Amino acid sequence: MDLGPFETDNSVSCRLASQIPDVCKTEDCCLGIDEAGRGPVLGPMVYGICFCPVSKKQQLKDSKVADSKTLSEAERENLFKNLDEAKSYVGWALHIISPNTISTSMLQRTKYNLNALSHDSAIGLVQYALDSGVQLKEVYVDTVGPADKYEAKLSQRFPGIEVTVRPKADSLFPIVSAASICAKVARDRVVKGWNFAEDLGEMDTDYGSGYPNDPKTKAWMLKYLDPVFGYPQFVRFSWSTAQTLMDSKGVTVHWDDDEEDGEKAAQRQHNKSMLSYFSASAGGKDQNPSHQTHRFLTERRLKSLCTL
Amino acid sequence: MAAKKKRTPQAQNDSWVVVAADSVIDTKKHDSDPAFVRLRNPSTDAASLYMLGAGDAQMYEVKAFEEEFHSWFVGQTVQRDGRLLFVTPMDPLFLILPYLIKAGKEGKFQPVDQIIMDEEFPVCPRLLSCTRSLASLHHIAEEKEVGSLKFHRYSQEKTMNWLKKKVERTVVALKKKNICVGEGVKSTTYIRVKSESGYHEEDYLRYAHGLISEYTSEDLSKALLKHLQLPELTSPKETEPPSKKRKLSDNAVEAGEDYTKFNSADFARKPPKKMTAAQKTLAKVDKTGMKTMSSFFSPKGKTEKK
Repeated sequence: MDLGPFETDNSVSCRLASQIPDVCKTEDCCLGIDEAGRGPVLGPMVYGICFCPVSKKQQLKDSKVADSKTLSEAERENLFKNLDEAKSYVGWALHIISPNTISTSMLQRTKYNLNALSHDSAIGLVQYALDSGVQLKEVYVDTVGPADKYEAKLSQRFPGIEVTVRPKADSLFPIVSAASICAKVARDRVVKGWNFAEDLGEMDTDYGSGYPNDPKTKAWMLKYLDPVFGYPQFVRFSWSTAQTLMDSKGVTVHWDDDEEDGEKAAQRQHNKSMLSYFSASAGGKDQNPSHQTHRFLTERRLKSLCTL
Repeated sequence: MAAKKKRTPQAQNDSWVVVAADSVIDTKKHDSDPAFVRLRNPSTDAASLYMLGAGDAQMYEVKAFEEEFHSWFVGQTVQRDGRLLFVTPMDPLFLILPYLIKAGKEGKFQPVDQIIMDEEFPVCPRLLSCTRSLASLHHIAEEKEVGSLKFHRYSQEKTMNWLKKKVERTVVALKKKNICVGEGVKSTTYIRVKSESGYHEEDYLRYAHGLISEYTSEDLSKALLKHLQLPELTSPKETEPPSKKRKLSDNAVEAGEDYTKFNSADFARKPPKKMTAAQKTLAKVDKTGMKTMSSFFSPKGKTEKK
């Protein structure tokens, strides 16, 4: 697996893929989808697909792929090697969603949540397989959100393909297990060798698992909190762990879509109370009745100063 | 989302982001540096910030672009205020004018250095050092020369003609810059595809007059309006009748139907709960495809069956 394309710029998402086996272009194929790194506050989320001809299902099962969570890292690496060696009939593709993409998606003005991001990533990978000429007939997915809704969404998106969405699909279907191994291996490698785009000097890379409840991760996040910028792009800013730390230890930053309510905010925004329009002196009493700045200036937010 | 963000009081800056012409800081020709000065604003009569260029040769006004939620990254520092200062050339006559008018009430010819004096703003005599000042005083004052001495007296007629010229020049500039001068509310972010050609000359004149009035007293602004033969606009507010209060009837209100059979507790409507800022943000989040919290506690078999 060559992580080069992602490592050259890990601020954006990236797709990595194996060669498409010729047999997959002629025979009916099944495809499994799984993800790795959904929960951690550090590092990317990786979506993986694995596909092989339906006729080779048994062969795949015999290679003892199993749910990646039940395996040690060494076992996973080993199994991935097996999968890579079976390239005559097994193909894979990965979509590495960078932590920066996760942060900016979830924190943008129109929120794009993690489930939507996951669904779109999965759809993108299936579409990639189809575009590459893989004769897809069956798709197996480990669910994200309610299984039936997700299944309906995928079936509608890919008519003619039998979509099965199941919780725990990674332990039920070998092809999903294979996908989960690919995703997990990629995530492990990326996190281990993370290329920090920021100039942070001698980096302490002992950040633990990256999960919010890991004490090592917590300590690392405390150490690398910049009061102005927050974190390197390695951190998912949208995670409450990161947000809480930035709120308490960092400089307060105000955005114009911050929710503020109460009279103070209204006053700050120079909003008038609705009632003021109905009172007798409607609008007549401004602070400075004699002088009203011309709209050329007010429209351009220009004003005179009396001191620097 | 954590607790509400607190606003720290605006701290004083020791640096500013300024847009200014190179000529402002051109000290080659002159011996003194440019300086920010406080002078009497002719329109508000209060102090405003101006700038005297190097050698006091040119007057500049200082305007600040200020909008909420802006900050600067300057080199390796962050500046909290996102303010952008503009230092733009200004005709010093506008600032000299109020002093001339005041002195003109006495009806005498006086030397200008006696006129341009202000205890509150001791820098104001420096206005006369500007290259344009003495050379253009004749636009607003009558001049008399006795020997080598010059005396001046404010002239309303000359001033009106001078201001009218300013308005006309402003109109030309407004047209050239395609400034929208129409009445009514306009969004600043709204981009017009086709230029509005339905403007009348009067719209331009009024707009330009308003702009020039930013530099003159209110009295002068009104006089100029007359001079331009523009009728004063009356605001509709003054003609509005006072709001009426609904009369209350003295008769007791009687119920048309008997509601007493309902339990009063059932009937009392609960006041709508006020959501916290955090709840509001949560309510806005796109929740499609997310499980409810309760679904995690329901018996396991249920999901397996599907």
